[in-house]
Amino acid sequence: MSKWYEKTGSDIDVVIGTRVSFSRNISQYPFTSRLKTDDKLEICKKVQKEVENLFPDRFQYIRMSELTQDEAISLAERGLVSAEFVSCTDGRALLLQEDESISIMLCEEDHIKIQGMLSGLELDKAYNFTDEIDTVLDKKLQFAFDKNLGYLTQCPTNLGTAMKASVLLHLPALTANSQISKLAVTVSKLGLTLTGVYGDISSPKSNVYMLSNQVTLGISEKSAIENLRSITLQIVEQERTARNELLKDLRYQDILWRSCGTLQNARILSFDELLHDISNVRIAASNGTINVPVEKINELVITMQPATINASKGTRLDRQQRDAIRAEKVRQIF
Amino acid sequence: MLCQNCGKNDATTHIKRIVNGARTEMHLCSNCAEHMGYGDLFSDFGLFNMGNMFANFLSDFPLSIGSASKTARCEKCGSSFDDIVRSGMMGCVDCYSTFYDRLLPSLQRIHGKANHVGKVGIAMGEVAQQISKIDMLKKELEKSVEEQNYEKAAILRDQIKEAESEAQDNE
Repeated sequence: MSKWYEKTGSDIDVVIGTRVSFSRNISQYPFTSRLKTDDKLEICKKVQKEVENLFPDRFQYIRMSELTQDEAISLAERGLVSAEFVSCTDGRALLLQEDESISIMLCEEDHIKIQGMLSGLELDKAYNFTDEIDTVLDKKLQFAFDKNLGYLTQCPTNLGTAMKASVLLHLPALTANSQISKLAVTVSKLGLTLTGVYGDISSPKSNVYMLSNQVTLGISEKSAIENLRSITLQIVEQERTARNELLKDLRYQDILWRSCGTLQNARILSFDELLHDISNVRIAASNGTINVPVEKINELVITMQPATINASKGTRLDRQQRDAIRAEKVRQIF
Repeated sequence: MLCQNCGKNDATTHIKRIVNGARTEMHLCSNCAEHMGYGDLFSDFGLFNMGNMFANFLSDFPLSIGSASKTARCEKCGSSFDDIVRSGMMGCVDCYSTFYDRLLPSLQRIHGKANHVGKVGIAMGEVAQQISKIDMLKKELEKSVEEQNYEKAAILRDQIKEAESEAQDNE
């Protein structure tokens, strides 16, 4: 079965992917920071049983403490779990759909975090299938809910809908035009937050950013998603206009083609170098200058991360071995 | 605007705090913000703990005001309000009702509002959940008609009819 990131989606030239997640808790248990490992495992088992009854053979149950370090970190690299989830694996488990579009983290900050991911700008679809799982699980597990405060979460900053909707944006032209700081300030006034994904927002390695809703109490799921979509579409248009202008400049074209040359010929390729060059090549692929599907490029960035290479080979490779494997895989695509 | 701390980079993190009733604002670059403990606040990818942020919000509350707050503990999990302020995390679901009045100002500061709008959990009962679903669909329908998106409006009308008949069956 192909993974979610191997498929295409709306506005994929700028929007790499969409993610929607719900944080939920089971009333009868204290929140996770007050639980011992045995209690956490009891919750994991309870949720596993309900999910397997409701969706037979659909999810793989993974006990985090049974994974190697590389396998665990690879899950975080692929965005299936948070980095924090991997930092301490005791009493934690993951329910994962084969195409990786749905992951359910058990005993992270909250008892249950249901997360849906899709390629491109697909907020409604990602919301709908994540919401469907949330609704049927709620009927079985009775999630903690209060009429005034909404879904009750360990950290009060998530109260209300306890929903986080995010889009992953590739913004090389707005970055080149030094527009990101201004954009971050503007979106924060509109209840959203913009962060850098691979590295800091002020010095991004890949020009990839994540735009998410910030407020969860007093705004409905649908309104939060509509707000995120309308601002995303405006950013997409700004990025496209800026790219068209930049691409008229021969010096900028030269930079893109040099990056293509590196990826087509390198024998050793570090992940940072891949991020830098693939950002340029993604622009060329988006406007058809080079004949590589954009989703193939997204797949390379996800699968060629250090721990993910180690996990796929089932052994701990040294840096040069990984860089050689990465270079070879990238050459096959370009 | 340049960072108030280093004066070199653009300020991208803007922090507003109210301490002893006085409002202060800080404008920092991401490096200084991170150094001062405000970095990467909402990133899912960093090792950031949201609780720290809430603890920052709550830190304006003096710990242990009088003897009452020293002794007031959640009956279910034993957390005191001081424990919550220190960790930025609630102990259990009942902590919300136990400390509701003391949390309210912070919730309003973080979210701007302190009343939930949106999906209703099954804990409120199936009928309440269905009524809320119908209300949300009706709002969407109004919006679709305003936007002259009649195709979507037709789908929503069908969904409302279906949800209303389900609600009637449950009554």
